Amino acid sequence: MPRAIVLDARDNVATLIDPAAAGDIAALTGEAQGEITLREAVPYGHKCATRAIAPGDDILKYGQVVGRAMATIAAGQHVHVHNVESLRARGDLESGRSS
Amino acid sequence: MSQAETFLGYERADGRVGIRNWVAVVSVMENCNSITRAVVRSVLNTVPVATAYVRGQIGQDLEITMSVLAGLATNPNIGGVVIVGLEPVTSEDLARRIRPSGLPVAIVNIQETGGTLEATMLASRQAARMVRAASAMRRKPFPVSHLTVGVECGGSDTTSGLASNPAIGVAADRIVSLGGQVVISETSEFLGAEHVFADRAATPAVRDRFLAEVHGHERRIMDQGVDLRGSNPTRDNIRGGLTTIEEKSLGAMAKAGTTPLVGIVGYGERPSSPGLHFMATPAPAVESLTGLAAGGCQINLFSTGVGNPIGSVISTTIKVTGNRNTAQNFSDNIDCDVSGILEAGERVAAAGARVFDYMLSVASGELTSAEILDARETSISRFGLSM
Repeated sequence: MPRAIVLDARDNVATLIDPAAAGDIAALTGEAQGEITLREAVPYGHKCATRAIAPGDDILKYGQVVGRAMATIAAGQHVHVHNVESLRARGDLESGRSS
Repeated sequence: MSQAETFLGYERADGRVGIRNWVAVVSVMENCNSITRAVVRSVLNTVPVATAYVRGQIGQDLEITMSVLAGLATNPNIGGVVIVGLEPVTSEDLARRIRPSGLPVAIVNIQETGGTLEATMLASRQAARMVRAASAMRRKPFPVSHLTVGVECGGSDTTSGLASNPAIGVAADRIVSLGGQVVISETSEFLGAEHVFADRAATPAVRDRFLAEVHGHERRIMDQGVDLRGSNPTRDNIRGGLTTIEEKSLGAMAKAGTTPLVGIVGYGERPSSPGLHFMATPAPAVESLTGLAAGGCQINLFSTGVGNPIGSVISTTIKVTGNRNTAQNFSDNIDCDVSGILEAGERVAAAGARVFDYMLSVASGELTSAEILDARETSISRFGLSM
């Protein structure tokens, strides 16, 4: 069973520390317990959503904002550059500073 | 002072302590590099300090380059300096910055010696004499308070923030607790983490200067009309699972451990007090390592995820990975494998203790992969235009 580590109880993503295929059930470790069914393949070191995320929602890892969802992301989906955007040093945002 | 908390180093005239005892062959400007390299090929125990510019540099940009060249030449790992210049005025400017260290300094100017072959011969002879004298020195035990250690990352992935950076952070805390210095760098890799790190500032002045460095850097990126998303995270960072600069920064910060941030220094400047410091540097590893080496770091603890082989010429570089694939497939370039944190339930504190113990062995003379394979480079950052 692939393992997915959650770094802070507030997080909505987990990091796969084994590669996972679509349909695999990943065991959550770290600051969350339980299992999550992966809706698509997630490579080693990449992230999956641990709960449903709406467009515009903050992506939380380490209990901190690491970006913003650009699309609806279901629990178990791959979370990466195709559906998350950075808020920093972009040039098109006056200030992305979240604190 | 227990045996476990000392290392065997070389005492320098200025009271600092080297972990290596090389003679530096220093190019005053880029047109001297071929001779610098020829001398290093000819003479054992020499290292090259090459530069891509100087000729044509002006103002603050020139000043930073010259002070970084002098900082590299006077790193405690250096026991003697041969300056290879084109003409005497600029060479003397560099020598004047190096002599206060008390190191032996020789100057060979190409225009004064009759060209490449004569300059190579004269500089090689000077280097050979310095190497013979330096080799008569003996290592002696010193406490960790004599170490200045850079913490660096390159070729990061998500395992960097989960394993290798936290393990380095444990070692960093131990160094600081023993009175040593730790320097974290790479300004753009605080974007998204600066509010967390700023809360560790020892004084309001340190906090304000740190935030001014990070926010000023972000402003300068945007003033160029570029979008950082195109370059940081890099393509290999993204392949390794890092999605945004915020995520990369929050993981990178773990290298600095948990102690208060006591000081801020500019590119290549030497921190003056014990404890954790921030140096404002560009993010690419070679430029950052060059700044850290010029700032006096004898060692760099370098975390890599997907694999980055490069080290500093001057500051002994230790490669640490927490990625099990990199530990296996990139093993020629890895010194310290902490993948057990994710694979075998090794505690971060235990892995960090291993990093610290290995670092002391390296400080006492054990060679690292970047040294053995000569995977070493120098790149002094530019901050202005040439004439």
